Amino acid sequence: MNAGILLIKKEFVQMARDLRMVWLPIVFILLGCTQPIITYYLPTILEALGGGQGITIDSSAISQEGGEVLASTLGSQFDQLGIIILVVALMGIIQSDKSNGMLAFILTRPVSISSYLFGKVVSNYIVVVLSVTIGFFVSYLYVNSLFTMVPFSHFLIALLLYLLWVLFLVAFTLMISAIFRSQGIIALISIIFLTGCRIIVNFIPAIDVINPASLSKHASEVLATGTFNTSVIIIVFVEFIWILVLFSITNYWISLKKIDYD
Amino acid sequence: MQLHYGLDDLKNINFMDFLPVILPFIAIGMFLVVFALQDLYRHRKSRENILLWTIVILFVNTLGAILYFVVGRKESGRS
Repeated sequence: MNAGILLIKKEFVQMARDLRMVWLPIVFILLGCTQPIITYYLPTILEALGGGQGITIDSSAISQEGGEVLASTLGSQFDQLGIIILVVALMGIIQSDKSNGMLAFILTRPVSISSYLFGKVVSNYIVVVLSVTIGFFVSYLYVNSLFTMVPFSHFLIALLLYLLWVLFLVAFTLMISAIFRSQGIIALISIIFLTGCRIIVNFIPAIDVINPASLSKHASEVLATGTFNTSVIIIVFVEFIWILVLFSITNYWISLKKIDYD
Repeated sequence: MQLHYGLDDLKNINFMDFLPVILPFIAIGMFLVVFALQDLYRHRKSRENILLWTIVILFVNTLGAILYFVVGRKESGRS
């Protein structure tokens, strides 16, 4: 595991050079701000810009609960633009190492592929977790000041569930990044698959159990209703199996490709 | 319904109503843009298409700066 820690350090140096540690949190703060502000000013914006005559806007009628707004931050900001931004930030995770020969160099050293992947995922996941947490916390502060108070425990549970879905996202992008060569194709496939996962949630209940994106739905549910569905535990369990599968595919693929690069 | 606002109407807008809410949002957005531009200026010798990136960062809201950080920095680093 010593090599793994070394690789994590190397990855952090790389990310500091990319300035990813700076811009990723900022972007998520912006995403987190957007939803509460827009929801809060929606009546005013409609009044000023909507050309529909005869529409009555009763601003007292739209008194949304804070939890619903926070849930829609997850659903309509983090799960749409957020996925795209995360995939774009992570698409080079292995591909850039492959293209500049770093992967071939590392594998000539006595470093196992699994510790290389471990270092990659842990370091990138830490940065992503920090960004998402900061962004979601800013959203939480906005919701608390503009709408009603949301209990901090609900916020924490929803955040934890959401971060598990993000872990799947990181692992999936890692696998695609190891398989394909062009960054555009990596981004395209990951974005289409992951947003597809998020869209088909709720369509067929049987698929929801094996769909990691339903964790995001459960996170929204915790925020909106305050209740906790026990079926989450099965989904979390299935999700960890998914991540293991993705890891072993990545591991297998790199060990297969090793001959090409030597 | 009034669709067009003249300059005189600016006086009637109560900025203090929404400024405290909007200001952090604008400040963070501005910071991202300024940060990207500053990075572009610092590495102006080794970057390609500097004018194009400046326009993209300034006019494509938020996404322009992200695109610059992801695509704009990487390509030139290799060549």
